[in-house]
Amino acid sequence: MKKLLMTSLAVVLLVGCAPTNNMYYWGNYSVSLYDFKKDEDEKTLQAHRDQLLIIMKESASQNKRVPPGVNAEYGYYLLKEGKEAEGLEYFDKEMALYPECHVLLEKLKSEYARGKK
Amino acid sequence: MKAIASITLVALLAGLAGCSTYVTKEEFAPKMYTEQPASILVLPAINKTTAAEAKAYYLTTVAEPLANMGYYVFPIEVVVDLLQQEGLSDAETMQAVPLQKFKDYFGADAVLYVTLTNWDTQYLVLSGSVKVKTECTLKSTRTGEELWYYNKEVSVSTEGSSYGQSGLAGLIAKVVTTAVNTASQDYVPLARQVSEQIFATMPYGKYHKDFGKDRTAKIEKKEKVENKKN
Repeated sequence: MKKLLMTSLAVVLLVGCAPTNNMYYWGNYSVSLYDFKKDEDEKTLQAHRDQLLIIMKESASQNKRVPPGVNAEYGYYLLKEGKEAEGLEYFDKEMALYPECHVLLEKLKSEYARGKK
Repeated sequence: MKAIASITLVALLAGLAGCSTYVTKEEFAPKMYTEQPASILVLPAINKTTAAEAKAYYLTTVAEPLANMGYYVFPIEVVVDLLQQEGLSDAETMQAVPLQKFKDYFGADAVLYVTLTNWDTQYLVLSGSVKVKTECTLKSTRTGEELWYYNKEVSVSTEGSSYGQSGLAGLIAKVVTTAVNTASQDYVPLARQVSEQIFATMPYGKYHKDFGKDRTAKIEKKEKVENKKN
């Protein structure tokens, strides 16, 4: 039963990941984010951050834009752990893709530059 | 005479039962097309359901379907963290912030307000399902007006869902899907599908390949009408 379950699981996961919309690659974004919000600890946060990286890598290899918010979210986690230069680079990536976020991200950039946050 | 009476009766019954009518996306939300907001800021949902976990299911699954409709969705984790730093700790206080502030600070074109009123999960042997009732409204930060709303109940289930497999493989897939889905975090796909259905009534945003081409796309508008002569 377990073997059947595991193989079927693999099948289901593959099918389940079939996107209804091809615009972006989201991977398991919601799953890892939900896990993180449910048990907010280092392990679940790291798993979610890893998922963000997977989304970025896969988007690149599929020639798709990284989905809205993903670069910025990843950068924000870096900022919060003190890796400001690296974090702000991801803000720049987000801004390069989506002009809609300029107001917010430029503001955050200058706040961090002034050492306010 | 008899024929007319029965036709009238049928019409009345249809009216009372709730006939499905269809409207175009443009008829349903004309201001979305005149204003064409490009970015949407999503706030945590006010939870009036008996399920505490409904809030997290909503907030962690809403970005993907909304972005897939072609909108720029601000990173929700960032938005919530920034609002919490301003002393706003829950959905109620966040949703009470004046729209102008979302425009000035975040640069958002529109804000999505959601209240969850029902969140019912069901696990049967071969399927799991979720029945969700929400009150959603999208407001313009420029005019303060409501651009779009949604307040119907949505049901999604793992049985006969978008997996589309038939025969034995399908049955196995359904059993496994259900078993997998009833683990707590696996209402995630169902929650995402709920949002997908809700946002399907929205016009496509600027990042969607069919942006501007869906004005006449038909969406179902179920109306429960009493005493409507049809």
